[in-house]
Amino acid sequence: MTTELGIAVVNGIFVGSVYSLVALGIVLIYRASGVFNFAQAEFGTTGLFVAYVGVELWNWPYWLGLLFGLAGAVAMGLATERLVINPLRNASRVTLLVGTAGVALAAIGIQFWQSNEQPIRQMPKLVDGVAFQPFGAAITYQHLITFAVLIVVALALAVFFRSPSGLAIQAAQQEGTAAELVGISVRRVSMMTWGIAALLGGLAGVLSGPNLSFTAGHLTFGAGAALLPGFMAAVLGGMRSMPGALFGGLLVGVIEQFGNLSIFGYMSGGGEMMLFFFLLIVLLLRPQGLFVRKAVAA
Amino acid sequence: MTDTIPEAPEESTRELPPVVAEQIDDEVEDAAPFRPSVRGWVARGLVWALLAWVVFALPGNFLSPFQLGVSDVGHASKAAIFAIIGLSLNVLIGYTGTISLGHQAFVGVGAFVSAYVVVDMGLEFWVAVPIAAAVGGIQAALLGAVSLRLTGLYFALVTLAYGLFAEETLFGITAFTGGEGGKNVPRPLGFEDDFAFYYLCLAFLAAVLWVDWRLMRSKGGRALQALRENPRVASSYGINVKAYTLMAFVVSGIFASIGGALLAQQSTFIVPETFNFQLALIFILMTVVGGLRNRVGVVIGSVVFALLEEGTLVHLLHLDGILDSTIGLPAEFFGLVIGPILLLLTITLYPGGIGQQVAPIAQWLRGKKLDLHAGKVTEVEVNDVRA
Repeated sequence: MTTELGIAVVNGIFVGSVYSLVALGIVLIYRASGVFNFAQAEFGTTGLFVAYVGVELWNWPYWLGLLFGLAGAVAMGLATERLVINPLRNASRVTLLVGTAGVALAAIGIQFWQSNEQPIRQMPKLVDGVAFQPFGAAITYQHLITFAVLIVVALALAVFFRSPSGLAIQAAQQEGTAAELVGISVRRVSMMTWGIAALLGGLAGVLSGPNLSFTAGHLTFGAGAALLPGFMAAVLGGMRSMPGALFGGLLVGVIEQFGNLSIFGYMSGGGEMMLFFFLLIVLLLRPQGLFVRKAVAA
Repeated sequence: MTDTIPEAPEESTRELPPVVAEQIDDEVEDAAPFRPSVRGWVARGLVWALLAWVVFALPGNFLSPFQLGVSDVGHASKAAIFAIIGLSLNVLIGYTGTISLGHQAFVGVGAFVSAYVVVDMGLEFWVAVPIAAAVGGIQAALLGAVSLRLTGLYFALVTLAYGLFAEETLFGITAFTGGEGGKNVPRPLGFEDDFAFYYLCLAFLAAVLWVDWRLMRSKGGRALQALRENPRVASSYGINVKAYTLMAFVVSGIFASIGGALLAQQSTFIVPETFNFQLALIFILMTVVGGLRNRVGVVIGSVVFALLEEGTLVHLLHLDGILDSTIGLPAEFFGLVIGPILLLLTITLYPGGIGQQVAPIAQWLRGKKLDLHAGKVTEVEVNDVRA
């Protein structure tokens, strides 16, 4: 039992680091545009596909392919902001949500279309092999790299939000009109936020992609689905807290792994069951999130 | 300074615009309403007849120069079923402003319950549909009772989690759904034929449309409209916001389950993977593109998306060759690529969706003047959800 729990926790933390990356992007966009961004995970899948094209089809060096993938994700994020979010800036939140869902579905459609000849693909790992095996859970170098990237990203974001650009983003998020009055271009800030969020999504995609073979919609509803766990992580952090989203992602990863314990008799979909009931309980008992003291007026 | 102070009271005691004036205006319009000429009536009658022919005669190969095959009429049945599902989502998103991202679960519950009743319990289809509808209503009531304390985006998130939970966990129970292998579902007696089954779907669609229409004319329907506009004001007028939202949720669940039961019979073979998150997104797309709170629009939108899904529409219009040769887009991906783009165009340019675009024609068909600006209401926008 202890070994099993140990495996669940270790696996959960490493799976959860992908969720954290997705959740960070979701929180960033929620603070900027007040929308639940359903395209966040799709930034990742798009980045993964673009990186795959660079590395596997065009035989570029791996690092160049990764950069290419991240650039693809950022380009998609910026295009989303320009073509969908900006025209709808005065629309209601439901309309915005449907808009981002439309972006996700359009991306998935294009991926299905372009990967028609070979629907299932496999991205090579950054570094092959298993690093160590606590409790018998195989932790690959790819997992370790993902976790390290998450830590670096979290630190970088913390530093960035103290810099002038980061402060401008925070100001525009809190009060757009007042930010314009002191000379901050809300438009540029919105672009920047979406760009950073898309970069985070892209990182989640290119880092988690090599763990499994991938198809279109890999991070949205495919094998590496990170959209719902990402949202849950963001909700645990009260939708506005970046550290909350980070720890929320790790926690959600662990909770999801608990669904695979043998006490559930290896039923199918145990992880989804755990997630659903965990989300219900959290939202009903502490709708403001686990990691915040006081609800922030939305 | 002395000038400005006396002015203020004047502002506040300004008379409200007389309410009577508006009523007089209406009466004047009523006094001399527009009546189409004889030619106008003939033209309208012809269009009505054409519509009726397309809906009733064309799929059954009556009075029709085209000989439609079994697969074509199968698509028509699917379109009618999608229209039922679209109306079910319209009750939720359109009437209450609550968004459900787990509607594929509702449809799936209807499909699997109906299949279970028919296959494992050996009962008739006519018993299975009410049971499926009841189970769909009960699961909606349970989920709603627990989670409607949450509103807006948080509620949407719960439905999203519920959808995945149902897809993976509930539909994964082999004894109930047949697991990965899926389940064969026989058609009801007398409707084994695809053509007869189409008319059955059409009858169910008509029934759902009628119930939806009557519901919106009832006290509950007016309460829903009021609470969508502003829940706080509505509750101050004595409307029990939560109870009515729950009612709408249950009605939506019942409609969706009926659609699911028909879907199971239509495809005669169902697997749990059919009811995935992508399907839920397509349901939302077709409802919003159709036009919220507009029954005609929702039905048209659902039909278009049902036909787009497997490229049927492209085949029917003989466009597949052109698309394949110009941009290399195979017909089966047409819906997946074009559908979301249609959605984005709709919500940015025509927030009223297809319902808004066809409003002039619909008005004209009802015997009014052809007014190109009909349907341009500003209130088609969904009110802000309360997140």
